[in-house]
Amino acid sequence: MSLRFHWMFPKGGEVAMKTAQETSRVLTTRSRSPAALPDMEGWVRFGRAAEEIGIESVLLSFSYYEPDTILIACAVGQATTRLKFIVAYRAGLMQPTTFVQQINTLSGLIDGRVALNIVAGSSAAEQRGYGDFLEHDERYARAEEYLTICRCFWRDRGEVNFDGKYCRVEHGQLFTPFIAADRIAPEIYISGHSEQAQRLALAQGTSWLRLIDTPEKLRPLADRFREKGVEVSLRLCVICRSTREEAIKAAQSMLPGEDIGQEERSILSGSESQTLKQALAAADNVGWLNRHLWAGLVPYYGSSAMTLLGSPEELAEIFLNYERIGVTQFIISGWPKLDEMLIFGREVLPLIRKAEGRTAAASG
Amino acid sequence: MKLRFHWMLPKAGEVVVNSTQTPEAAALYRIQSISSSSPAPRPDLEGWIHFARHAEEAGIDSVLISFSRYEPEPLVVSCALGQATKKLKFIAAHRSGLMQPTIFVQQFNTLSALIPGRLSLNIVAGSSTEEQHGYGDFLAHDERYARAGEFLAVCHLFWQTEGEVNFEGRHYRVEQGKLHTPFLADRKAPEIYISGHSEPAERLALSQGTCLLRVADTAEKLRPLVARIREQGLEVCLRLCVICRETREEAIQVAESLLPDSDIGRHERSTAVKNDSQMYREGAALGGDASWLSRNLWTGLVPYFGPVWTTLLGTPRELANALLDYKSVGVSQFIMSGWPELDEVNIFGRKVLPLVREAE
Repeated sequence: MSLRFHWMFPKGGEVAMKTAQETSRVLTTRSRSPAALPDMEGWVRFGRAAEEIGIESVLLSFSYYEPDTILIACAVGQATTRLKFIVAYRAGLMQPTTFVQQINTLSGLIDGRVALNIVAGSSAAEQRGYGDFLEHDERYARAEEYLTICRCFWRDRGEVNFDGKYCRVEHGQLFTPFIAADRIAPEIYISGHSEQAQRLALAQGTSWLRLIDTPEKLRPLADRFREKGVEVSLRLCVICRSTREEAIKAAQSMLPGEDIGQEERSILSGSESQTLKQALAAADNVGWLNRHLWAGLVPYYGSSAMTLLGSPEELAEIFLNYERIGVTQFIISGWPKLDEMLIFGREVLPLIRKAEGRTAAASG
Repeated sequence: MKLRFHWMLPKAGEVVVNSTQTPEAAALYRIQSISSSSPAPRPDLEGWIHFARHAEEAGIDSVLISFSRYEPEPLVVSCALGQATKKLKFIAAHRSGLMQPTIFVQQFNTLSALIPGRLSLNIVAGSSTEEQHGYGDFLAHDERYARAGEFLAVCHLFWQTEGEVNFEGRHYRVEQGKLHTPFLADRKAPEIYISGHSEPAERLALSQGTCLLRVADTAEKLRPLVARIREQGLEVCLRLCVICRETREEAIQVAESLLPDSDIGRHERSTAVKNDSQMYREGAALGGDASWLSRNLWTGLVPYFGPVWTTLLGTPRELANALLDYKSVGVSQFIMSGWPELDEVNIFGRKVLPLVREAE
């Protein structure tokens, strides 16, 4: 099997932004930010470029300061033909029956090119704005029930009956099926570093999605998931330049100015996310996790800014190393989003495919 | 103000693109759309876009997309169809209680921005109790209306305030709710059609809606209700089917061809009666001699297929006059349907609408 590469979908207005600094959370979470509005022109340009260079899917993030992911996927899906959409959604904001009806409808409108990234919740404050007053651990318990019901709809196609602590459905029936050429249900990515997130991924997911770390650190975790038939996907940033030195220079130019930097840190330190706490600790303690994995942008751009940097040859080799320990998918971002993706598609991906071809030929 | 005309979006698979379809075939397709072998649950962009372009051409303002477990989800359908059209608006039906209001507004606002402003809302409090249970909703009829009131109150807070939304009710609680994606249109909040014939439905429309949506009756019968609603600053929109032919006799012939033979009739009758809807209970009681409410308004199909099969039929001139009669008692909008939808919308646009506009 060859490695699967996905890219983070740009925020509204981001495709036209030329620097990392413009995309900072401080700016994009302001209520007048262009991130609040759909950007069909930029998105369609990005989506077509992504499918052209061999990116399989885009991940659409969910938050109160961005447009809704399901509807964006539907609109951009009309303007693309191969690109898939990994739609992030928080369990518990709508009844599972309605959610499945929307996802199934979407699948029928974009030829099954939809996958789910289920998140149990965000900060308690943001959840309360969505009418959700459960605590962190209970949110995971609810997500478990939620996905159980969703999977009943997808698997059984008959009547769904479920009586749980958080969700109850009686004689649930949906006539619109999940429509895809090769699957009866969407792939489900479960993100989070906590023990509950891992358990949820093992029980209900097709892939666990977590932040990149060094291959040595990830090996035992990847083993645990592979044994259960659940894939491991890594979230990371990539900065690829012709040499490592140039990549480092590019990375350092992305550090924010002092004001934004401080504001960003104070936002991040308020989060309950275990993923983020671990990533911040790594940034403070070591900065470099190994010669190519840098945490320097994390304090300013959030945990998913853990960055892999180097030359095309170095990066290709690193991705293949992850493949050797059992990682199968990557969800990448970079700045500017479109440019970095084009570099990856032109310079790195062909090297990986060539090496995979050699391996296949040698073993075949 | 000019009358506004909307049309039902045909079921998926219902529109025949490159050949013809008899009214009977169209009616049968719709009746059978809730059977598990029907293709109607599968989105049909080709047929829908074909219909939508004809509707735009005909001068139709919006299409109503209905919500049920038998069909694709209306918000998502509106989004796809909105990408392929320019003028047509979408009245998306939604049952309150199936999502938190915050996420609903986020979806609705996103959609309004993706199909610039061409979006209205039809809120239905619920359908049969059985169907509601399948959606995880276990409230009784009147309570569902109370909840719908709270649901829309929260939605309005998001639409009307720039800042944080706080709400504490019996059914919903939102604390410091924030959404950055605004409702994007030439109005701050969408038009909201509230359907139903019951007392709670009317109260809900008055408190949270912009328009009461109900099945057509004679203009005379509707006069007091319409006056009451209009006094409160709301509009009234009628749901009806139309059959327009060169002569009234031809139209009646088409209408009668849609009557079921008695065996099918009994079977279909049971599925048409949604047990928890006052509109459907009233409809089920109709029929027999009472089936002509006026010279052009016929309820002969209602006992079998439900109240929304109430049919206005006749010549273009008769239909135009009937619509203008409704206007004279204060009705301002119509959501229509026909068999097949495509043929009837074309006839309406060519023959009836010009007469209405001329008189206006």
